[in-house]
Amino acid sequence: MPDFLPALPLPPNHIIWFGVLLLAGVVGGEIAKRTFFLPRITGYAAAGLALGPEGFALLDRSLLDDLGVFAEISIGLILFELGHRIDLGWLKRSPRLVLTSLAESAASALLIYFTLRHFFSVGPLHSAAAAAIGIATSPAVVMRITADLGAEGQVTERTLLLTALNCSIAVLALTALIPSLYLEYHGGWRTIVLHPLYLLGGSFLLGLVASVVTLEALQWIGKRAEAQILLLIGLVLVTVGVALVLKLSVLLALLAYGGLVRNLDRNHSLVAPDFGLTGQMFFLVFFVLIGANLDLAAAAQGMAIGAAFVAVRFAGKTAGVMALIPGSGLKGRQGLLLAVALTPMSGLAVIMLQDTQSLFPEFGRALASLVLPAIVMLEMAGPILTQISLKLAGEARPERPDAAA
Amino acid sequence: MGELPFKPSQPLTLGVELELQIVNTRDYNLTRGASDLLGALAKKDGLGEFKPEITESMIEMSSSVHAGHAALLAELRAMRLAIVAAARKLNLGVAGGGAHPFQKWNDRRIYDTERFNRLASLYGFLAKQFTVFGQHVHVGCADGDEAVYLTHMFSRYVPHFIALSASSPFHQSEDTQFDSSRLSVVNAFPLSGRMPLARNWAEFESYFSKMRGFGVAGSMKDFYWDIRPKPEYGTIEIRVCDTPLSLERAAALAAYAQSLARYLRLERPREVCADLYLIYNTNRFQACRYGLEGELIDPFDGARARIHQDLAATFQRIAAHAEDLGCRPVVQGLLMGAQESGNDARRLRTRFKETQSFADVVRWQCEQWMLAPK
Repeated sequence: MPDFLPALPLPPNHIIWFGVLLLAGVVGGEIAKRTFFLPRITGYAAAGLALGPEGFALLDRSLLDDLGVFAEISIGLILFELGHRIDLGWLKRSPRLVLTSLAESAASALLIYFTLRHFFSVGPLHSAAAAAIGIATSPAVVMRITADLGAEGQVTERTLLLTALNCSIAVLALTALIPSLYLEYHGGWRTIVLHPLYLLGGSFLLGLVASVVTLEALQWIGKRAEAQILLLIGLVLVTVGVALVLKLSVLLALLAYGGLVRNLDRNHSLVAPDFGLTGQMFFLVFFVLIGANLDLAAAAQGMAIGAAFVAVRFAGKTAGVMALIPGSGLKGRQGLLLAVALTPMSGLAVIMLQDTQSLFPEFGRALASLVLPAIVMLEMAGPILTQISLKLAGEARPERPDAAA
Repeated sequence: MGELPFKPSQPLTLGVELELQIVNTRDYNLTRGASDLLGALAKKDGLGEFKPEITESMIEMSSSVHAGHAALLAELRAMRLAIVAAARKLNLGVAGGGAHPFQKWNDRRIYDTERFNRLASLYGFLAKQFTVFGQHVHVGCADGDEAVYLTHMFSRYVPHFIALSASSPFHQSEDTQFDSSRLSVVNAFPLSGRMPLARNWAEFESYFSKMRGFGVAGSMKDFYWDIRPKPEYGTIEIRVCDTPLSLERAAALAAYAQSLARYLRLERPREVCADLYLIYNTNRFQACRYGLEGELIDPFDGARARIHQDLAATFQRIAAHAEDLGCRPVVQGLLMGAQESGNDARRLRTRFKETQSFADVVRWQCEQWMLAPK
């Protein structure tokens, strides 16, 4: 064989695979769109599922791990955008929103905890960690659905705000469990005290530094959306990388980063609140990867626990939201739709699982068997429910008249 | 009795309607907020009304009928308190201004009622482009003949109202070079323009029944004229004003309309003639394009003056009437020295020059309108 020809077997190439993920997502998204009721992102995830180990197995586990870097980037962008949704001014004017968030978070967590404890005889620590993860609504799903639908209005706004808040609460709750986990799994007392402090303090500090740098850079760039988007993507990438290198919490750091940029921005220098087309590319690949990583086998084994998890989580969120609807400016029907829109659970939950698993492998595996079934179910049902909810609320962009005629 | 009875009302009574912008507080674009805002507005007795307009990003605030400026302003302020409270609860911004500087017209959503859906299907893209924000001033008339007379006579002063209220220099992310770009949007409608030269109510009724016979108009609502009689209210309605940036300016414009109406009906300085409308569109264009610096040609004697000069001269003629109506300081403040104080279009341009950001301009507009009522 002449040596200008490639040697066989052909070496794997990540560029090809990144392109394949993108193409698979495009095809899946288009097919979903043509069904008229499936959200695009469901199509992305289905395409991933088809390519992944559970489907035609074109992507194996090690390749998926290598491609995980794209997921890290996407989650960084998503969490930044989510943090940027937290408008402290609004919360100060309407403290009821904070109460609503606390109520729906607490109600869903408590219900999940007691259900796991009493009906499935799960230990207290496992139940508590599962409940903490269950608090969070999938930010990626909620943000992509609202963007794809062009949804505008109170149900949309509050879905995004409550998602930002319940994700923050979930991450904090899970971090708060770390001391108990160390106690259980024999950590020294210094680790018990210092590790959560390092995670919380360090991540927040990273977010703060990043936001100060960002605001300075934005001042220098000026109020031009295109330039700002590229600057922000660069800064988010650096922040995600630094958080990984310093073993901080990417979730906390990026949420803090987005939130601080929003609330420290006295001159309103950030004019581009979303990542535009560049961001969309990462989000698409993110959903394809999530689909490829779906563990259907785990879900099949835990049908009962998954169904119970999903049901009581929804009941808790509904009760919490509805309890504070009177006087909120929303009608009862809008409250119900808001509760439904908060159902998705997806990538963020997976990352919380993985983070826990990397610190406490044995505990993490047991936790995964409790949470994964619900994640798999909601991976499919969540986006559809959010989409239906926003359409029923009348907040989705109407189909263009020329398309209807 | 003809087929369009004019319901007499107390002469010179006053009412205004203000179309307001509803924006989000993230990037200050127009947003879908009217139905939520209307849902959250607690109905207060004794106050005027909040109503939907053709797209979801607009809300109309209409006052009750008032004898004069003071009572009108008091009510508008109470209404502002109500709408600002609701908007803050929903994290929405409410602003004056004749047009939103950077919205894309095709993003707008038609407010879901039978009438608005019908208009949207009839007018196509014009309906969504009609997301512009005006102030309408109603002045009460004793009878239809008086309404016809005042409608014609007010046409001489239409450039005043345009230039004083102009607040739509930006449209679809561009500086239009106009002080009021909003009126150019209205021009596209087939039934826009001005009332035909009827000399009394009987003539006007026969015109109206012909138009109804042609099937192009069902009620006065279908005529988008600059000034139109409104027989069911017993008023004439001046519709050329952009919604000003502040409620105080809106009330002052109403006081000016009232004082002018009193001058015209009591002194009857001129009679209606066809020449009245020869240079109507030219004057109107000058006011839209150049604002207070526009040139105004008097249709009766051909005299030329800058609009701000003509405002000062007009004030001398109507000052006594404003005095009797108890609104002389307000009218004087609006008409005299207009060139120095400038109009809202100028203020918006200054703001944009300082910030180079339309989002910042709209945020400032919200501050002007909402004025933290604490």
